[in-house]
Order: sequence, then C-alpha cells, then structure tokens
Amino acid sequence: MQQKTITVVIDQNGESSVDLEGFAGQGCDKVLKDFQGDDHAKVQRKKAAFYCQAVDSRNPHLKSGQ
Amino acid sequence: MSAYGEFTTVMSEERYLVEGLTAMGYRVEVHAEGAALVGYHGDERRETAHVIIRRAQLDSASNDIGFVRGKDGRYQAILSEYDRSIGYGNQWLGKVNQHYKEIQTVAVAKAKGYIFRGKEVIQTANGPQIRLQFVAR
Repeated sequence: MQQKTITVVIDQNGESSVDLEGFAGQGCDKVLKDFQGDDHAKVQRKKAAFYCQAVDSRNPHLKSGQ
Repeated sequence: MSAYGEFTTVMSEERYLVEGLTAMGYRVEVHAEGAALVGYHGDERRETAHVIIRRAQLDSASNDIGFVRGKDGRYQAILSEYDRSIGYGNQWLGKVNQHYKEIQTVAVAKAKGYIFRGKEVIQTANGPQIRLQFVAR
C-alpha cells in the first residue's frame, strides 16, 4: 500500500503549500482541511491520482490510463 | 499524488505567535486585555496591543512593536514608519508569519495524529523556505 504523505512548504512570507500523496478520494479533503486550519485558501485542486484511484475503486478491472 | 493547496497564513492563535516571536529571539509580553505601546521618547502611545515586543530589544530609536487581536480573532502588527524603515517592515513580518505557520503546523498535525517525519530548510533567492513532512497513520 502506498504511504500517505503530506508535504508542507512555508515560504519567506509565511505563505504555505500543502501537497498530498497517496491519498484516494474524499479522504484527502479532510487532510487538506486539517493542514489549512484558519488560513485562506488561494489554490486548491485534486491531482490526477485522485480521479484514477476513485475510478479504480468502482471498477477494479480498469487501470488508470485506460 | 492526490491533492494540492496553497494558503495564506492567518495568525489567530496567541500561543503560536508568542512561540514564533520567541524562536526569532524576542522576549514578548502578553496582555490579555491589551497594554499601551511605548514610543521612542518613552511616551505611552494611544495604541494598545495584546502581544508586545518592547523597544529596548529593537533599535535605540525604536517604538514598541505590538500585535493586536482584532474582532475577527486575527492578530495585526502595529509598526511605526521608523521601525518599518529600519528592517521591521513586510520582510520581517513575513518571517513572523513563517515562524508562526511552522510552529502551528507541527503542533496541529501532531495533535490530529499525523506523524512528523522531518524539517528541511531550503535556501532560495527570495529567502529560506521551510519544508515539513508528515505521514498519515
């Protein structure tokens, strides 16, 4: 099973980015919210694997990219 | 890979602000009801703040630097024009935000059960970036 990692980068102005890897589906929304806290969101997007893994869970015969 | 977000730090927790300023080397005063800031002549100013760096720790002609908690719960800095001009301007405030965010992130993540895997400081042309890594259980 792929490890679920969270990488937070904080720049010299205190702006931050949060990058999630290994999370599938809606679970990553909660994790992103945990790391957002009270901060204002500037950019939020799902990455390719979010959709691939979501599709895979509905149809295990489909592989991502097919 | 699954999600990505970018955020602007909002300083709303006194303890992380105090810890951040302490990590930057300042001794701070905390006043639950606010206390008056002192100007460079030793005069008490009209402005009050909840977290204060007294001017003795700054330049000889500095005023106190204060952080006042607004009605929305956010802390805003009170900085004189003089102090802004001698290095306590936006760049310095950025460092305050950076320290705040680092301390807040580690504390909240641990409290929520994430495992802290390490910190890396990356030097960039614009200044140091802090990279924190966590693992979900």
